Amino acid sequence: MLTVFNNVIAIYQRELRGYFASPLAYAIAGLFWLLGGFFLTVILLSPQGLIAQVAIADQFGGAGASIDVPYEFLKIYLSLLGSLSMFVLPILSMGLYAEERKQGTLELLATSPITNWAVALGKLLGVVTFYIGIVLPLMFCEAIALSTSDPPIQPIGMILGHLGLILLAASVLSLGMFVSSLTESTVLAAIMTFVLVLLLWVVDAIAEGLGGAWGEILSHLSLLTHYTDFTEGVLDTSGLLLFISYIVLGLFLTAQSIDALRFQRS
Amino acid sequence: MIEAEYLNKTYGSTAAIQDVSFRVEPGEILGFLGPNGAGKTTTMRILTGYLPATSGSARIADYEVHTHSMEVRKRIGYLPETPPLYREMTVERFLHFVAQIKGVAAGDRSQRVESAMRRCNLLEKRSILIRKLSKGFRQRVGIAQAIVHDPPAIILDEPTVGLDPRQIIEVRNLIKSLSGEHTIILSTHILPEASMTCNRVAIINQGKIVATDTPDNLMSRLAGEAGYEVEIQGDLQLALQRLEAIDGIRTATVMEIEGLPQDRHRLQVVSDGNRDSGGEMASVLIGAGLGLYELRRTRVSLEDVFLNLTTQEKTEDSSMESTFAPTEPDSPQETSTSDPANGPEED
Repeated sequence: MLTVFNNVIAIYQRELRGYFASPLAYAIAGLFWLLGGFFLTVILLSPQGLIAQVAIADQFGGAGASIDVPYEFLKIYLSLLGSLSMFVLPILSMGLYAEERKQGTLELLATSPITNWAVALGKLLGVVTFYIGIVLPLMFCEAIALSTSDPPIQPIGMILGHLGLILLAASVLSLGMFVSSLTESTVLAAIMTFVLVLLLWVVDAIAEGLGGAWGEILSHLSLLTHYTDFTEGVLDTSGLLLFISYIVLGLFLTAQSIDALRFQRS
Repeated sequence: MIEAEYLNKTYGSTAAIQDVSFRVEPGEILGFLGPNGAGKTTTMRILTGYLPATSGSARIADYEVHTHSMEVRKRIGYLPETPPLYREMTVERFLHFVAQIKGVAAGDRSQRVESAMRRCNLLEKRSILIRKLSKGFRQRVGIAQAIVHDPPAIILDEPTVGLDPRQIIEVRNLIKSLSGEHTIILSTHILPEASMTCNRVAIINQGKIVATDTPDNLMSRLAGEAGYEVEIQGDLQLALQRLEAIDGIRTATVMEIEGLPQDRHRLQVVSDGNRDSGGEMASVLIGAGLGLYELRRTRVSLEDVFLNLTTQEKTEDSSMESTFAPTEPDSPQETSTSDPANGPEED
């Protein structure tokens, strides 16, 4: 047990260090911050922004007063970060295994006393940590904006929303890791992951069109619906379970695909 | 230490290796010599547990490589054809990482990494990023990662491919210095390399092992000796005695082969190359009342292999001499600038 833990830590550390040496990681973080910061300002402060809208509504009296600006802001901003992540996450996950395959380092891992599970878990933890790292500064900005709200907001809502964001990211990264383990091409991995994520993102729209029992089943798989619950500050166990299922599924499929790789190699 | 028994590997309907069997004793260096595509890499990968064999079994330190993969992985160091290196890590970090995943205890890691770097002459490059290293240094990092956890068995797949002649000599000396405390298998498609570094050489061609012997014996077999393989039934001592009495026969030895019927023996007979003693051997054996089940020349197949080896090299390097001749290092033929070992990679 201890050695498994050590192995996960070893892979985790290497993965995380890899991001600090990778220009791509810096580029992604920079882009994420730029867009995140830009939208933060636009949502709050632009002439069509949230504050301006509420102010106008206030002037016309009555109805506007029931808008809870901080929660409304959090909801809009988190759903925006979610959509932004849909583009960023496939790029983060694309190299997880494809790069190892290309450089031949998978042969090192596969001949070391370390299980496929430990490798996959270490890698996933590493990339999720990196993602949290790029979300944190934006959270800081949000906190500054929200600290001016009166009455002060409940931190639990904010924490729950961001937990949802991280769970969403971990699910996508886990599935993306599996896709990455299928190919040596990082570009292909990114595209395939993006398509998969898009499908899971809009699966409830598909489900609606489909209708019936199948539609019912499909609608539960939607990332968007469950994520929206979180951004509204609702802790929904079914959503939590869904995200955890996606994460475990991704890990399981990755471990299996690496194992299966040995049989098809020629 | 390392044993392979009747290993077979088929991809679809093509057989990559067939009935590959060999043993490597502790502290020995076994060279796996064969042309490109002969099945060297496949065999290495089976030994490391990276590929499962279609049939047959292999054991390292008495652990079966497939069923006890984890135990085997702890006890081997493996350098694949392309060294598995994380290009964005420094040499020292990378070796630390490898030591960590190979299960070296935290307290011993620094010391193990230090000694691996010292052995491979990497101390001055310890804080350089691997991607900035030259090919020769990368190869040394590859060897360092194979020995960093001090494994009893080391498996090296074409360790000198793509290096310049000076680097090749360095790497060969390094490998030689590892023998004794480690058991080593290395694969190569260069005859002099095998003869210079290895205690024994197994020649593999088209997926089959055609000969296993010391380099000296192999060389002398090449240099004008004829070999025969004889399968007899009856009194072994009598057979050996009669065979060695024939004029021109140098030695007759018993080959250890499992699965022969009771009372059958397989002998390896070496005679002078300029005489064909086959007929005489047959009549002597039958005259002594022994059953003769098979008698065939082995020299021919060995020659075939070397012909194959040389023709392959010829097309790749256009310098046949460089693969065959330079048993003496100062050979005048080595003036050509082309790198004798720089053939295209296998597979």
